[in-house]
Amino acid sequence: MTSWPALLPLALLTAGGLVLLILEAFIKSRERTYQGTLALAFLVSSGAALVAAWDRDWTLFGGNLRLDDFGILLGLLLTAAAAFVILLCLRYVPLAGSNVGEFYPLLLFALSGALIMLLTTNLLVVFLGLEVLSVSSYALAGLRLDDEKSSEAALKYFLLGSFASAIFVFGLALSFGASKSFEIPALFESLGAGSGTEGLGLAGLAFLLAGLAFKMSLVPFHMWTPDVYQGAPTPVAAFFSVGPKAVGFAVLLRLTAPLLGEGFRDDTLRGLLTALAVLTMVIPNLAAIRQTDIKRLLAYSSIGHAGYLLLAVLAGDPEKLVFYLIVYLFMNVGAFAVVTALCRRDEERNRIDDFAGLGFTSPWLGAMFSVFLLSLAGFPPTAGFLAKFYVFSSAARKGLVPLVVLAVLASLVSVYYYLRVVVVMYMRPAPREAEPNVQSPALLLVLFLCLYGVLQLGLNPGALMHVIRRAVAVLL
Amino acid sequence: MPILSLVTFLPLAGAIVLAFIPRRRAGLLRGLAMAATIVVFGLSMGLYLSFEDGEAGMQFVEHAPWLGSGIEYHLGVDGISLFLVMLTAFLLPVALLASWRAVNDKVKEFLVIMLVLETGIIGVFLSLNVFLFYVFWEAMLIPMYFLIGIWGGARRVYATMKFVLFTMLGSLLMLVALIILHGRSGTFNLLEYYRLAGSGAWLDPRLQIWLFLAFALAFAVKVPLFPLHTWLPDAHVEAPTAGSVILAAVLLKMGAYGFLRFALPLFPDAVSTFLPFLSALSLVGVIYGGLMALVQKDIKSLVAYSSVSHMGLVMLAVFSLNLEGTQGALFQMINHGLSTGALFLVVGLLYERSHTRRISDYGGLSRQMPVLSALFMIAILSSAGLPGLNGFVGEILCLFGVFRSSTLLAVLAVSTVILAAAYLLGMFQKVMHGPITNPSVRTFKDLNLRELCVLLPIIVLMFWLGLRPGSILRKTEASAALHISRVAGRSTVLVSSPAPSPSGEAGVSAAPVPAEARGSAERNADD
Repeated sequence: MTSWPALLPLALLTAGGLVLLILEAFIKSRERTYQGTLALAFLVSSGAALVAAWDRDWTLFGGNLRLDDFGILLGLLLTAAAAFVILLCLRYVPLAGSNVGEFYPLLLFALSGALIMLLTTNLLVVFLGLEVLSVSSYALAGLRLDDEKSSEAALKYFLLGSFASAIFVFGLALSFGASKSFEIPALFESLGAGSGTEGLGLAGLAFLLAGLAFKMSLVPFHMWTPDVYQGAPTPVAAFFSVGPKAVGFAVLLRLTAPLLGEGFRDDTLRGLLTALAVLTMVIPNLAAIRQTDIKRLLAYSSIGHAGYLLLAVLAGDPEKLVFYLIVYLFMNVGAFAVVTALCRRDEERNRIDDFAGLGFTSPWLGAMFSVFLLSLAGFPPTAGFLAKFYVFSSAARKGLVPLVVLAVLASLVSVYYYLRVVVVMYMRPAPREAEPNVQSPALLLVLFLCLYGVLQLGLNPGALMHVIRRAVAVLL
Repeated sequence: MPILSLVTFLPLAGAIVLAFIPRRRAGLLRGLAMAATIVVFGLSMGLYLSFEDGEAGMQFVEHAPWLGSGIEYHLGVDGISLFLVMLTAFLLPVALLASWRAVNDKVKEFLVIMLVLETGIIGVFLSLNVFLFYVFWEAMLIPMYFLIGIWGGARRVYATMKFVLFTMLGSLLMLVALIILHGRSGTFNLLEYYRLAGSGAWLDPRLQIWLFLAFALAFAVKVPLFPLHTWLPDAHVEAPTAGSVILAAVLLKMGAYGFLRFALPLFPDAVSTFLPFLSALSLVGVIYGGLMALVQKDIKSLVAYSSVSHMGLVMLAVFSLNLEGTQGALFQMINHGLSTGALFLVVGLLYERSHTRRISDYGGLSRQMPVLSALFMIAILSSAGLPGLNGFVGEILCLFGVFRSSTLLAVLAVSTVILAAAYLLGMFQKVMHGPITNPSVRTFKDLNLRELCVLLPIIVLMFWLGLRPGSILRKTEASAALHISRVAGRSTVLVSSPAPSPSGEAGVSAAPVPAEARGSAERNADD
């Protein structure tokens, strides 16, 4: 049903970004405390507009903007991620040297780009969103103006990212050649047997995948990830670890869900995805073992989790994939929130050794970090275990037992490096007289919500599963 | 009253309460933790008293929906799990009391972790839903990891990591096996598995082999069976006393329990293939553990290797797949928990005084500490299987069971008796007798009242179970017989006697001890 409120979520985000930019020019406030609150207000109203669109199936612009339930659910996931990030920034931005007026607007623009990608089935519009998201992300990564690492991260992200975008466009061109349309369903038809354009369509699809794989940081397109996470401001890294990944998987699901079903005979796509999954599960988990920087460790861990998510794609089970993404949001943002909590004025404390004795100098912070890490490692009764269990069992049911065994062994390795951080927190003495960490209420709120999410979804995810089931029905 | 849920989750509730009490109130914290564990023990006694003797199936069953698609909240207790639960509930307060002075650092965390650990362990023994079992099985690792890693010795980080990774390797593969089992049957209900496995329309033998291997690996690491035992001495030596007690007395039993509850009855076809192999590994463990214990210089690692040896015998009895063997294994698990627990407690008491565990640093202690020396002697004799104490009954039952399945294995396994006497008495002699070589020994004080309260209940139980083994055996008999009929009903192993009817006998004499064993036990009791 064509309806103008379909534009509302996007319009609110962009308006928010623009208003903040304009206010920045006129209001002379050194602390810029109003910015975070205002950004949060726009974010929440955009989220409310998304909720209002639930189950209405609104479209606009000749169907190019389509608010189906799947897009809305993932849009809400991203909105939640961005809201967490803003709450973290309320503490982080005044401390770090990144107190510039562009911070919150860029975040809102990045989110709007992600929403565009989610709320369409037209590949050209997807590309539009991808670019909005990417360009804002490049700038966000470089926002620690007085830190070389941050500038390096931005440049690296920009160079590799634009290359990936080019590959995506190339794939778009090829698939347009095959199907004479930018619509995803048309691409499926061109891949059907006997159309004479299978080869071209498949090549296009492969390039599209490569472009997306960069965003999702799948191996071997992951090289930028550790550097960017390390250099970017910590809350921004939290957003990078969740946002682009969720969007990428959403588009991937729209692209592949019918192709991995029963009707489609060609195994090329399955083979490609299997190779990606194997590499993405094995390599980062091994690379993470030797990291000494917590943000790099979390970067490799986030790549590894993308491998498990790919397993869900291969199993053709979008329901479990979305559940995993939501769980991942809580545990990963929670972990980054603890890293943010450790920041001091003009000093990010990211070395794993900085965590020594944390379990006793700040017992609650240490306990929460342990819960998030154990959840990432997949220990019951946390949500991380349940998410992994669901994905593994639907993969095993599809006959992918060797891949599941590999995934299980990969998570055994991951247990080692997650527990290494716990070892440092609890089994090494604090190096010096520990200064008390004064925490902002906003940060505590994020920590609490993430902890609640990790435990609630681990013990009783029934209601959420019901919502997810309804949302993914549009894909199948 | 949902008594099983209470027994399982009361410690966890206690841990949550403790988390909100300020850490400077150590006395209150200790008192509350102690009270919680004692209440749990009281509840488990209630469980014992109202447990129906002749009933082979599950009792006090609680069943509620949880996550859907076969994942349910399902608890129950039978003869196999009852005494393991009681052992856990009994040893937790003992361990807390034992660490009253030894743990002064981070008391609050210690108590919270001990209570969470108790919930995890009891949950493992009571779960009837395989998914729920796995949740407890894994969740229990975390507190144990902290227990060794925070309060352990010098190489604690290495030891605790090794412990976690070894266990995880096995259990993650078991998770895959669980998923496949669920895919084939559509349920995680253990009782339903039993029914299917008995009906003949079960998994094909090739799949059974893979699944059995995955389960067996998880449990063999825990027991530990011979080539997988290397984490055990490390973990024991580094763990604090309370950790060693729980580890030896209860955690190792989880492996044997896993074989009894899951690996053997669920995959009867695969069992007959691997039984000789597993028996051989157990036997190697018996002899190897004993020989290694002979040459240890550290008391704690001596006791650790004796655990490898004793658990080898238990597993040999489990794999003999007959009633005597199974009953013996169940009984011996309790014995081993008590005697090894007591040995570790004594080592802990010595360590608190001397801060060394090397055997050569001691000598002539018995003159300074006659009470400790006497109690130590009893614990050693219980562990070595002296008639009149509990160890004898268990060992003789195990050996009878093994003898009935294979004479050769039994002949070789008897060496455990000799080896145990050699390394334990040898150690006792060096530590307690002889000249005083270390001058600081003269300053040692004998046991105080608290320390006596730690050891005495265990010693009393050793005598009680040695003289009245029926108080355990009559409760386990029906379930053990049912277990045998499940496993051996389909496997090719020779089982000469049909399972006796559970309702036949009553009272102490219901213990299915073979006549000659019962006779000798009673003779010795009369002596």
